[in-house]
Amino acid sequence: MKSRILMGMAVIAMVAVLSGCGKKPQVEIDATNAAIEATKAAEANVYLPADFAAVQDSMNAVMAAIEAKEGKLFKGMAAEKEKLTAVTALANQVAANVAAKKEEVKKEAETLLNDIKTVVAENAKLVLKLPRGKEGAAVIEQIKADLGNVDAAVADAQGAFDKGAFMDALNKIKAAKEKADGLNAEIKEALTKARIRF
Amino acid sequence: MGKPWWHILIISAIALLLTLMVLIIFYPVPAPPSEEMKDAREAISLARKNMSETYAPDPYMKAISSYDSAMAEWRRVNEDFIYRRNYSKVYALASLSEKKAIEASAISLNSTSSLQVLLDKELKDLNNLLSLINRIFQAYPLTTDVRNKISTGKMLLMDAQLAYRDGHFLESEKKMTESKTLLESSYEFADSHMRSYFRSYPQWRIWIDSTLAISRQNNDYSIIVDKFSHKFFLYLNGEKITEFTAELGKNWVGDKRRRGDKATPEGMYKVIKMLDGDSTNYYKALMIDYPNEEDTIKFRAAIESGSLSPSARIGDMIEIHGNGGRGVDWTAGCIALKDREMDSIFKYVRVGTPVTIVGSVDNLRRVLNR
Repeated sequence: MKSRILMGMAVIAMVAVLSGCGKKPQVEIDATNAAIEATKAAEANVYLPADFAAVQDSMNAVMAAIEAKEGKLFKGMAAEKEKLTAVTALANQVAANVAAKKEEVKKEAETLLNDIKTVVAENAKLVLKLPRGKEGAAVIEQIKADLGNVDAAVADAQGAFDKGAFMDALNKIKAAKEKADGLNAEIKEALTKARIRF
Repeated sequence: MGKPWWHILIISAIALLLTLMVLIIFYPVPAPPSEEMKDAREAISLARKNMSETYAPDPYMKAISSYDSAMAEWRRVNEDFIYRRNYSKVYALASLSEKKAIEASAISLNSTSSLQVLLDKELKDLNNLLSLINRIFQAYPLTTDVRNKISTGKMLLMDAQLAYRDGHFLESEKKMTESKTLLESSYEFADSHMRSYFRSYPQWRIWIDSTLAISRQNNDYSIIVDKFSHKFFLYLNGEKITEFTAELGKNWVGDKRRRGDKATPEGMYKVIKMLDGDSTNYYKALMIDYPNEEDTIKFRAAIESGSLSPSARIGDMIEIHGNGGRGVDWTAGCIALKDREMDSIFKYVRVGTPVTIVGSVDNLRRVLNR
C-alpha cells in the first residue's frame, strides 16, 4: 500500500518536473541576438547580405520553435538551446567572413582605382595630342567635357573609398572605370582618324 | 474485515489525481501556429530574394510587421493558461504576413520583368539618341553648356547601363531619366538651332544651281563647298568629278559677319589668287574674293542696324588651303584640305574658277536621314 502511495507521488513529481524544466532559454537568446547585432555592426548586411539574411532567417525559425515549445505542456528546450548555439556560431562565422570580404573588396577597389588613375592619366596625355588648330574644335570640346565628368566620377569614388565605404566605392569605381575606358577608346579613335600616333 | 475508511479515502484521492493527470496529459491542448508561422517566414524569405524590399516595399514591410506582430501575439498568448490559449489572432496575422509576402513577391517579379522590358527599350532609344547627336552634332559648333549637358547625359547613360546589367533596375531607371532629360534637351536645342540655320536652304539651292549652270554653260570647273557635311566638291560641266573632306572655321554655322568671328563665309565667290611656295603658310592656297560686294553691303547694314559693333571690321583673306586632314575644324574661317588634294585641284582650277560656299547641298530632311 505504501509503495502505491509513493508511486503516485513520484508520477506527480515527474509531471511537475517535466512541465517545469522547459524555461525559455533567455540567456542563449540574448547571446545569439548580441552575436547577430555584432554581425550587423560589422556590416554583414552590406558585404555579405545573403549570409546575413540566412542568419536572421535561422534566428526567426528558432524563435518560432521556442514559442511552439512554450505552447506545449512539456517544454524541453534542449534542442532549441542547441539551435541557438548553432545560430550564434553561424553569426560569428559570418562576422569573421565579413572582415575577409571587406578586405577583398577594399583590395579590388584599390586595384581598380589605380587602374582608372592610369587610364585617366593616359587620357589627359592623349587629349593633348588631339589635333588642335587656331581655335580647337567641337570634338575636343566634347572630349574635354567628358574628361571633366570622368574626373568627377573618379573623385566621387575616391571619396567613398577614403570614408571606408569600400562596397559603395567599388560600385562607383566600376562605373567610373567604364567611363574612363570608353573615353580612352574615343580619344584613340579620334587620333587614329587624324592619323596621329599615340 | 473491510479496509479502514481512510484507506479508501487515500485510494480514491490517488485515483482522482491520476484521472486528473491523465486528463491533463491527454486533453487536447490548442495547437500552436507553428506551420503557419513557418509558411509566413518562407514567403518573406522568398520575397526578400525577389528584391521586394526595393520593388514592392509596401506589401513587403506589411508582411514583416505582420510577422513581428504574430510573434508578439504568440508570446502573449503563451502566457495564458495552457487550456485557455487562443491562437486565432496569431493565425490571422501569420496568414496576413504570408499573403502580403506572396503579394510582394508577385509585384516584385512583375515589376522587375516589366521594368526590364521598359528599360531595355529606353536604353536602346537613348543610345540611338546619343548616336544621332554624335552623328549630326559632333562637329556642330554647340555652346560649352550644351556640350557639358551632352557629356553628363552620356555618363549618366553609362551608369544606367551598368545598373541595368547588375539588375538594379530602379537605379537604372533613375539614371536613365536624368540622362534622357539632358540628352533630349540638348538635342532639341541643337535641332532647333540647326533648323533655324537651314532656313537659308532656298538661297543655298539657288547658288548651287547657278554655279552648276555656269559650269555646264562654260564647260569649265566649279567648286562647291558643303559646310554641313564638310565636303569640297569639284564639278566639270555640271558633273561632280571629285570630292574631299573639308575642315572649316570653328564657328562655321552661319555666314561670316566680321573679322575674327571664326566663321566660314557663305556665298558665290571666285578664285582670285593661286598661291604656293613661300607665298602661303598652308602649302598651297586658292584665295577667293571674300568679301564681295554683297558681303560688304551686308556688313555695313549690320553696323548701321547696331547688330555689329561700330568698331567691328569686315573679314578677308579667305582661302581654300592645304595643311588639312586634321579631323577637326581649326581654321579662322578658311577651308582646309589635305596637301595632296590641293595638288590635285591645282591641276584643274584657275583664277576665276567659281567657288560657292553653302550651309548644305542637301535639304534638312535628307541631312537628318543620312
